[in-house]
Amino acid sequence: MTPFAHATTPGGFLLVLAVILPVCAVLAIFACGPRSAARIAMTTLAAGLAIAIAIAVELIASGAALSYVVGAWRPPLGIALRADGLSGAMLVMTALVVVTVGLFARVQYGLHDGAGGGRAQTTFWLMLLALWSALNAVFVGEDLFNLYVALELLTFAAVPLVCLDGRAETVKAALRYLLFALVGSLLYLLGTGLIYGQYGTLDLLTLSRLSRQEPALSAALALMIVGLLAKAALFPLHLWLPPAHAGAPAPASAVLSALVVKAPVFLILRLVLDVAPPQAAAIAGQLLAVLGAASILFCSVMALRQARLKLMIAYSTVAQIGYLFIVFPLAAGSAELPPWGTIAWTGGALQLVSHALAKAAMFLAAGVIAEAFGHDRIADLGGFGRALPLSAAAFGLAGLSLMGIPPSGGFVAKCLLLTAAVIEGYPWLAATILAGGLLAGGYVFRVIDTALAIPAVPVAPRRPVPRRLELAALALAVAAVLLGLVPLRPFGLLQIGRDGLAMAGLP
Amino acid sequence: MTPAALLLAAALLFPLLLAIGCLSARFRARALSVLVAAPLPALAAAILVPEGRFAFFPQPFRLTLVLDQPGAILLGGAALLWSAAGAFAASSMTRDPAAPRFAVWWLLTLAGCLGLFLVGDVVNFYLLFTLASLAAYGLIIHEQSAAAHRAGVIYVVLALLAEAFLLIALVMLAATHPDANPPIRSVVADLPASPMRDGTVALLILGFALKMGLVPLHVWLPLAHPAAPTPASAVLSGVVVKAGVIGLIRFLPFEAGMPAWGAALIGLGIVTSCYGVVVGITQRRAKTVLAYSTVSQMGLLAVLLGVGLETADPDATNLAAYYAVHHTLVKGALFLGIGILAATGGRRLGLVLLLMAVLALSLGGLPLTSGALAKLATKPMLGYGWLAGAMTLAAAGSTALMVHFLLIVRRDAAGNPAMSPPIGQFAPWLVVLAASLVIPWSLYPAVSGETVASLLQPEALWKVTWPMLLGAVVMLFVDRLPRRLGLIPEGDIVVLAQAGAPLVRGLSNRIGEVDVNLRRWPVAGLGLIALAILLGGALMFRA
Repeated sequence: MTPFAHATTPGGFLLVLAVILPVCAVLAIFACGPRSAARIAMTTLAAGLAIAIAIAVELIASGAALSYVVGAWRPPLGIALRADGLSGAMLVMTALVVVTVGLFARVQYGLHDGAGGGRAQTTFWLMLLALWSALNAVFVGEDLFNLYVALELLTFAAVPLVCLDGRAETVKAALRYLLFALVGSLLYLLGTGLIYGQYGTLDLLTLSRLSRQEPALSAALALMIVGLLAKAALFPLHLWLPPAHAGAPAPASAVLSALVVKAPVFLILRLVLDVAPPQAAAIAGQLLAVLGAASILFCSVMALRQARLKLMIAYSTVAQIGYLFIVFPLAAGSAELPPWGTIAWTGGALQLVSHALAKAAMFLAAGVIAEAFGHDRIADLGGFGRALPLSAAAFGLAGLSLMGIPPSGGFVAKCLLLTAAVIEGYPWLAATILAGGLLAGGYVFRVIDTALAIPAVPVAPRRPVPRRLELAALALAVAAVLLGLVPLRPFGLLQIGRDGLAMAGLP
Repeated sequence: MTPAALLLAAALLFPLLLAIGCLSARFRARALSVLVAAPLPALAAAILVPEGRFAFFPQPFRLTLVLDQPGAILLGGAALLWSAAGAFAASSMTRDPAAPRFAVWWLLTLAGCLGLFLVGDVVNFYLLFTLASLAAYGLIIHEQSAAAHRAGVIYVVLALLAEAFLLIALVMLAATHPDANPPIRSVVADLPASPMRDGTVALLILGFALKMGLVPLHVWLPLAHPAAPTPASAVLSGVVVKAGVIGLIRFLPFEAGMPAWGAALIGLGIVTSCYGVVVGITQRRAKTVLAYSTVSQMGLLAVLLGVGLETADPDATNLAAYYAVHHTLVKGALFLGIGILAATGGRRLGLVLLLMAVLALSLGGLPLTSGALAKLATKPMLGYGWLAGAMTLAAAGSTALMVHFLLIVRRDAAGNPAMSPPIGQFAPWLVVLAASLVIPWSLYPAVSGETVASLLQPEALWKVTWPMLLGAVVMLFVDRLPRRLGLIPEGDIVVLAQAGAPLVRGLSNRIGEVDVNLRRWPVAGLGLIALAILLGGALMFRA
């Protein structure tokens, strides 16, 4: 059994750094006062990006997962951190989005408060860093309770971001988010308790080697997955997401929509693929796919109906999250081909990353628009492309990725999922993917058409917006498009560290 | 890298580079004047590169370019029209403040359209098809009128639909291929043995028929062509619809043949060609009549391709390309001619009208013009049965429609004050006109395998003349029918589709209500519990 046990690998300390560096920065901000908040945050962003890249490089160079056993206490006594290829991709994606959003926020706050820190600005930096630490902890965590702590930290860092401006409606949205997320956490904790009571371990690697199918495990998994679904806002549990994501300030919305909802999705992926017995996982996977498909269709129509730009983007997030859930039956794999060897697995991971980049770009572009015009009612924005060409271009490029138009990351992802649906014989999933693309085309096109219009009375920006602010959104959108040009070989990265993990149920 | 490969690459990349150059504001301000040059590498490639050459660009581009006979014929005609229409636009739009933006959309559409005739791999075909489809939207809405926006919206909806059909068809084609980006030729060779053969072919035909404008998917043409600026209408009608033609040529298995689908395509084509004529004759505006004529002509092309598919005759692709290049040049010249006529009056008017008449009647098969050549070249393939009869009737219908068109443009231009068109517009028009008369003659022996002398036989002349006379006589009668004009609105069945709008709105409102309910706390809580039970049940289920 030794090859499967955790052992600290040479680059393992990087994982610890990725988790604790942002926390240290939070403490440093408390120590040095709000005046230096932005400076400390920017330094940490640079260092964190370097760490994420170092982890990815180490993964590719060694071709094996990175592990770190905290305090040299092996599980089940101690806890372990582990980053396989997928975790590595998530870490780098998170770092990219957080850094770009940080740059955007720095410029935006510079416009309003000058160099000194306002209350909202300091809170934003603190919460952004805390959130980053929590995300990294989710991506490298191996221990179910550790993951619970990370999820809680994530929620408590995300909720204040929703109501940074302190308006009554955003506070209401934040409370709604908090309550629903807490219900989700409770369910997750309940499931964790059941598992600990039954097996005496919370280590994912150990659990994945249990080849049993017991009611307790099934009940525990069901509770945990539903709890995570509530946090991921999959249809029909999306009640909190649109008001929360649409009400938050632009940089906060970008992080929430691009990253925060991905963490529970990532955990569901691990639970279904690693812990659940494969036969049961197949049926549960079908159920999740039905929910995903409903999410795509229903929330895309809702996005089309929205009059406000940010609400539209928020509903689009719920729809795009749906694509991640239709991966389950498509990536079921077979005896010869493990799930992570299927094209659907690659497609799902690519969708996760490209949506994160594109959605962050869209929210930042919407933020620039709201900054310039003071509102985000689509109907009253006719011709905004003339005033803000870079933001319109960013929105359009990000839209290409959401619609799945080549060449973009979203296109390659949808193409891979479609191919999987055709090969595995799921015509209804193929039809859903296509219909989702068409509806996405509808809501993106509505904005582009508005941007290109030449109304009788041209809209004038309420205040000038510096180019630097627009560049952040454009950079993310270009990254989302360029993802489509990357040959799929780096996504061999996704397979790193998976082969060492015996599939549950196999001897 | 051989010179041929370089030229092929330049044909695709030069317009793209010019489009990228438009990122610079200084270049963009003068972009209108480079439109004429953008398609020149493609024109050179069509003339100079020997057939059958291909160029392969390895990772990370994974791009294959090939030039076969149908591709070369279509590429040459299209590049010529793009260049001339670009010169026309440079002259006619100098005072338009939005011209730089128009130039960007123009270059993107051009790159996509011309690239399609060259590209040999599946992924890049889809990429260029998308580029051509979506960028054309910018050309259609350029005038920003309400009609242009309506046309643009309908166009985009249909274009996205075509994209979706095509995407799933291409995925089904390539799904079992070991290569991630296989050559088109190899997946099409595998198609007849594929278990998803019929579904794939149906989706391919749907996707490309939308682009070509086959009934009932033709509604975007008669809305978009009149709404766009004149040079844009010329390329939309002349070249952009050919994206569907080259798609069918490339992706249908003409070597193996598929009789049932061939017959379906023939039926679709015949219906389309009749429908275009009948609806076109009720229209009042010259550009709309031309758009319906394009619909009708695309129907004829579908018939040619259908016959090829039915009888497993790969030569049909050459003939279809030959017919298509005739249509590209003639229709392009006719659209540009509308712009010329609007700027002509007095003495010159008669001459311009005469040239327009030659062009228009060429579509019906006027002897010695490209239309007659195209019809004679395709005649042996159609045989002498009912199909040949139907095609003859279609030629008569085309003549009738064109007579109607000529009457409209004569009436429109009658009140013009004495003036002559700017040379910057007149010269490009003459170039296309001359090309439409000359190029088909030079290609005829290579395509049909017969000598040019055979065209001058009295028998051959009579073969194309009598349907024309028939059409003209029919038009004499139809022209006397009262209340014919304006009977059918532009875009015909789209009006019916729009009648379904309240239904769609009702459905959307219903979804909105459901969403409000789902987002209530008690409902969400119930949902949470129900999901937990369902999921638990699913996980406990032992198969």
